[in-house]
Amino acid sequence: MPHVEMEGVTKAFGAVTVIPPLDLMIDKGEFLVLVGPSGCGKTTTLRMLAGLEEVSGGTIRIGGRDVTHLRPGARDCAMVFQNYALYPHMTVRENIGYAMRVHGTPRATIAERVEEASRLLGLEPYLDRKPRMLSGGQRQRVAIGRALVRHPEVFLFDEPLSNLDAKLRVEMRTEIKLLQRRLGTTAVYVTHDQVEAMTMADRVVVMRAGVIEQAADPITLYEKPANRFVANFIGSPAMNFLSARLADGSVVTDGQVLPLAPEDAARLGPRESIVFGIRPEHMRSSEHQASLTFGAEAVEPLGPHTLVLGRLGGERVTAQVDPRFPVAAGQPCTVPVDMTQAHFFDPDTGLRL
Amino acid sequence: MSAGLSQDRIKHAFLWPAFLLVLAISLFPLIYALIVSFQSVRLVPPLPPRFVGFDNYAEILQSARFWGSMRVTATITLASVALQYVLGFALALALHHNVPGASLYRVTFLLPMFLAPVGVALIARMIFHPFLGPVNDLFTTLGFGHVEFLTRAGPAIAVLVTIEVWQWTPFVTLLMLAGLQSLPHEVFEAAKVDDISPWRRFWDITFPMLLPLSVAVVFIRLVEGFKVIDTVFVLTGGGPGTATETLTLFAYNEGFKKFNLGMTSALSFTFLFVVIVFGTIYLALAQRLVRRVT
Repeated sequence: MPHVEMEGVTKAFGAVTVIPPLDLMIDKGEFLVLVGPSGCGKTTTLRMLAGLEEVSGGTIRIGGRDVTHLRPGARDCAMVFQNYALYPHMTVRENIGYAMRVHGTPRATIAERVEEASRLLGLEPYLDRKPRMLSGGQRQRVAIGRALVRHPEVFLFDEPLSNLDAKLRVEMRTEIKLLQRRLGTTAVYVTHDQVEAMTMADRVVVMRAGVIEQAADPITLYEKPANRFVANFIGSPAMNFLSARLADGSVVTDGQVLPLAPEDAARLGPRESIVFGIRPEHMRSSEHQASLTFGAEAVEPLGPHTLVLGRLGGERVTAQVDPRFPVAAGQPCTVPVDMTQAHFFDPDTGLRL
Repeated sequence: MSAGLSQDRIKHAFLWPAFLLVLAISLFPLIYALIVSFQSVRLVPPLPPRFVGFDNYAEILQSARFWGSMRVTATITLASVALQYVLGFALALALHHNVPGASLYRVTFLLPMFLAPVGVALIARMIFHPFLGPVNDLFTTLGFGHVEFLTRAGPAIAVLVTIEVWQWTPFVTLLMLAGLQSLPHEVFEAAKVDDISPWRRFWDITFPMLLPLSVAVVFIRLVEGFKVIDTVFVLTGGGPGTATETLTLFAYNEGFKKFNLGMTSALSFTFLFVVIVFGTIYLALAQRLVRRVT
C-alpha cells in the first residue's frame, strides 16, 4: 500500500482551477521530487499535502489515514521552507526543540534529540546562536534539524536550496539525500531545478499547469521522455528539436539526410511530418552515426567540452563537442550525430513516438 | 590659500542662518522659560520681575496640589495606556486574521483618532451628563444606581480614562496591525505544521517578535498621555476640587488663571523633568526586556 496517496485532488482559487484532478501515490521511504517551471502547481500540491492549502476536491491519505480535512498539525508532516522560517527570537537549540517542548516531550528526550540532530547536521558549535547570526546554509540546516527531531511520517521540502549559493546547494543536496536515506522517511521535495530533481529523486514527477506530465525515475525521464515538454525540461543544455520527415529509413531535415538506427526505422516507417529530437551531448560518434551541418553562431568553451550554438533552417541547434573540435563562429559546422539516441515526437500532440 | 579662506567664509554663511533660526525658534523660548522659572513674574497685579532662585521649585515640591496632579496624571496615563495597548493589539489581531467585514472595521476603528480631543470631550460631556446623558439612562433602565460621572473623583477619572482609550486605541491598532503584517508568514506556517496552537503561536512567536514595536508604541502613548489637558479641561476642569487636575492643567491654571508666569514656567520644567525621568526608566527597563527576549 502506498504511504501517501493523493486521489483526484483538485485546487481552485475562485474560478481559476490551478490543479485539475491529480493522482499521486508515494511509497514508504521514497524520495519523490516534484519539478516544473514556476506556476506549474508543484508548491500548491505540496502545500495541500501539508494542509496549508485547503483542497477543493479529492482525498489525501497518509499512512492509510484520511487527512484531507485535518489541520496541518494533525497530519504528522514536517516541512522545510524556502526561506527557512526559523523563529528569529529563539536560539538554534530552542528552534529545534520548540515543537517538542510545546507538546510536553520530557526535557531529557528533547535534549537528546536536539543533540542528535545537531551532530548529524554539524550544528553543535551554533546551538546557542540566534538565526540572524548564521549563514544561509547554517539556517537551512537548522530548519532541517527542526523537521528531523519530530520523527514525522513525511518530510516536505519546499525549494529548500534555492536561496543558497551554487556550491552550497550541491553540498546540501547530497546531505539531504543521504540523511533521508539513512532515516528512511518518506520525502516530498519541490524544486524548479531539474538537476536537483535528477540527482536527489528516487522518482521525479514533472508537472506543467497543474498536470503531471511524467512520473518516473531520473534515468527513464532522461532516456525516454514521455513528451516534448519533458524532453525539453530535463537535461541541460536542452534537447534540440528539428522539424523533419521520415523517408527511406532516414530523417530528412532541411535537405540533410540522417540514416535512422535500424530498430527506429522498422518501428516508425515513413512519415510526412515529425519532430526529431537530439540532445546536444549526443552529437558524437557512434556505430549508427550520421552527420549534421548547421551555421555556427556562437562558440562557448566550458573546459571539459564546448557548446556550439547555431541555426539550422529557422531552428536553434546546440551541439556539445570536444574542446579541440574545429569550429568557428559564423562558419558552417558539421557534427556527428549518434542516431541510437534520437527521439521522435508527434508534431501535433507532442507525444513520444 | 586664499581659495581655502574664502571657502571657510562660505561655510559660515551657510551655517549661521540655520543656527540662528534654531536658536530663535526652539532654544530661545526654552531658555527664556527657564529664566522665567527662576523669577517671580506676575501679570496681575503687574509687578517687575524679581529673581527668586529655586523658590518656585521648592514651593511646587511642597505643594500637595502638585503631588495630587502627579498622581492623577500617572493614574490616567498608566491605566489608559495599558488598556489602549491590550485592546489595540487585540483589535489588530482580529483585523489581521480577516474577520468578516475587516475592511469596514479598519476604517471605522480609525475615526476616533482623527477627531479633535476637545470635540471628543464635548461629546463625552453630553453622554456622561448626570441627568441628560444616555449612559445614566441605560444604568437606570438596567436597574443600577444613578452615577454622578463628572462630579465625583473616582467616576470622573474613570470617564477620562475611557475617553483616552476610546480616542487612542486606534493608534495602537494601526501600528500593531502594520507590525503584524510585516511579520514573515512562513514562520507561522512552520508553527502550524508543527501543531502549535493559536494561543501558543501568539505568546511564543507573535508577541516576542512584536515586542520592540510594542515598546515603541507604548512609549509614544505614555509621553502623549502625560500631556493630557484638553479633555480634562472641557470635561471636569480639574474638579471636583482638584481631584482630576493633571500636571498640564495645573500649569495652565497657574499661568492663565492666577497669571503667575514664574510658577507656570517652573511647573513646565518640572513636568519636562518628570517625563524625561519616566521615559528613561521605561526605556531602560524595556530595552533589557527586549534584549532578553529577542
